[in-house]
Amino acid sequence: MHLAWLELSQFRSYENLRFEPDPGINVLVGRNGAGKTNILEAVGYLSMLKSFRRTPDAALIRSGEERAIIRGGFGDGDSEVDIAVEIPAAGRRQVMVNGKRPSRLSDVAITAPVVAFLPDDLDLVKRGPALRREYLDDLGAQLVPTVGADQREFEKSLRQRNSLLRQDGRNADPMSLDVWDVRIAESGARVLVNRLRLLGRLCNRLTDAYGTVGGESRDLLRPIYTSSWVTVGEITEGLEPDFEILASALLKALEERRTRDMETRSTSAGPHRDDPGFLLDDRDVRVRASQGEQRSVALSLRIAAYQLLDDRHGRPPILLLDDVFSELDPGRAEGVTGLLPHGQVLVTSARDDEVPEMGRRWRVREGILK
Amino acid sequence: MFEPPVQRLVDELARLPGVGRKSAQRLAFHILHIEEADAERLGNAIIDLRKEVRLCSRCFNITADEECSICRDLRRDPTSVCVVERAQDISVLERTQEFRGRYHVLGGAISPIAGVGPDQLRMRELVARLEAESVSEVIVATNPTVEGDTTALYIARLLKPLGVKVSRLASGLPVGGDLDYADEITLGRALSGRKEL
Ligand SMILES: [Zn+2]
Repeated sequence: MHLAWLELSQFRSYENLRFEPDPGINVLVGRNGAGKTNILEAVGYLSMLKSFRRTPDAALIRSGEERAIIRGGFGDGDSEVDIAVEIPAAGRRQVMVNGKRPSRLSDVAITAPVVAFLPDDLDLVKRGPALRREYLDDLGAQLVPTVGADQREFEKSLRQRNSLLRQDGRNADPMSLDVWDVRIAESGARVLVNRLRLLGRLCNRLTDAYGTVGGESRDLLRPIYTSSWVTVGEITEGLEPDFEILASALLKALEERRTRDMETRSTSAGPHRDDPGFLLDDRDVRVRASQGEQRSVALSLRIAAYQLLDDRHGRPPILLLDDVFSELDPGRAEGVTGLLPHGQVLVTSARDDEVPEMGRRWRVREGILK
Repeated sequence: MFEPPVQRLVDELARLPGVGRKSAQRLAFHILHIEEADAERLGNAIIDLRKEVRLCSRCFNITADEECSICRDLRRDPTSVCVVERAQDISVLERTQEFRGRYHVLGGAISPIAGVGPDQLRMRELVARLEAESVSEVIVATNPTVEGDTTALYIARLLKPLGVKVSRLASGLPVGGDLDYADEITLGRALSGRKEL
């Protein structure tokens, strides 16, 4: 699956743009602020239906305009899938696949899987758990369509329970809370099952990837998962978590914490509060690893995601490399370029000489692409 | 901005669900150009709808009489009640010809975000009907959404102590959609394959 063409209208810095990248490597060169990353962001949006920079939708619209449109054709040799997103300044976003509204939005992430290496990937490893949860949930949704649907159901149930608690606090109707607890326990347990299953499939790939980009280090990289409402044991390759056990554990935790939740007017137990992490041998990468090691772990996460998607779909995902070569020493850069000859790649760089000599070069200057 | 009478109609039409600014203008200019008698018929149809139509005193379906035609139909089984979110769901289910009982219109689904709790729905009226009409089976046909499923669960818990069999439409319905989107065959299958909650 590769991007055959991309059309932008009033998106970020682009008034109108049509871009027909090569099915192989494409290097986008332009000074900072020229709009290189915007193109990668648009491609990422068509896949994940959100900005990989975590920009709110309204801020993606070119200033003063009413709506932005991102449209792309993803080809696979003989068939082409046309994904279009219209983002209005006010009102609902519209997603169309081949001119029709898809019956499930979560199917879009499967259609055109994308892996993005971003300049601030180090945050994945260094900062709080939200980014790591997002990494797992996004990757899971790109692998299996029901995973994205499970996430949406959990998030909706959680918003509803929190809304009930916010409005009524200590006076919330107990039977209403009962049914929301059941909904959250079921959908939340499914979210955790999906995450653990994914971590189980990432295990060996992470270890291998770290072996490639970790330089001198012989330490073993492996995932851990910390939750306040259930004890998750060691994560091993091929892990198959038990849904029933997790669902009843979450239901029990919600019941036990109900009085507290009514007072704080929020939900304290569930996968939205969990902390997935990584160990190098027995050191927690977040607090007890060097900056260099952390960078290698972050790279390993992206590489493992790429390989998992490649295996799962039988074809490589589209690779987006946003200004990553300026941050990498030659050894790590090699680990990344090792992936390159395989599928389609879009690389951005501020300097011509930063990116290894390869592929087709595009110049990006003030909303024009040549 | 248009002349005030045109603008007024555009504004009113644009408040209807699924009608944007552009279609509202198109409709308004269409009405402006039709025969006066046609425009009058359209206006009267809207006025009569509100004047002559009311809610069935038993099931809250839409009716022109005290009770709706389904509740008055003696061939229908009063011991079986199908609970729906909105009155328009009844006509969708009726088209399947699978269900021979009566209905109960809740008036929505539980959604704290939308400010709808059990008290805003016709739950109490449902419980009252069970006893008055010796209902033995309740089929919950709320939409297959997070809110619809939660409402079904709430009803199951509410009715459990009353010894009534409560079942939910079998899956196979498009998740996250409305009953309207389901075709008759899928809906018919969902009705005959319902599961006890
Ligand atoms: Zn009736």
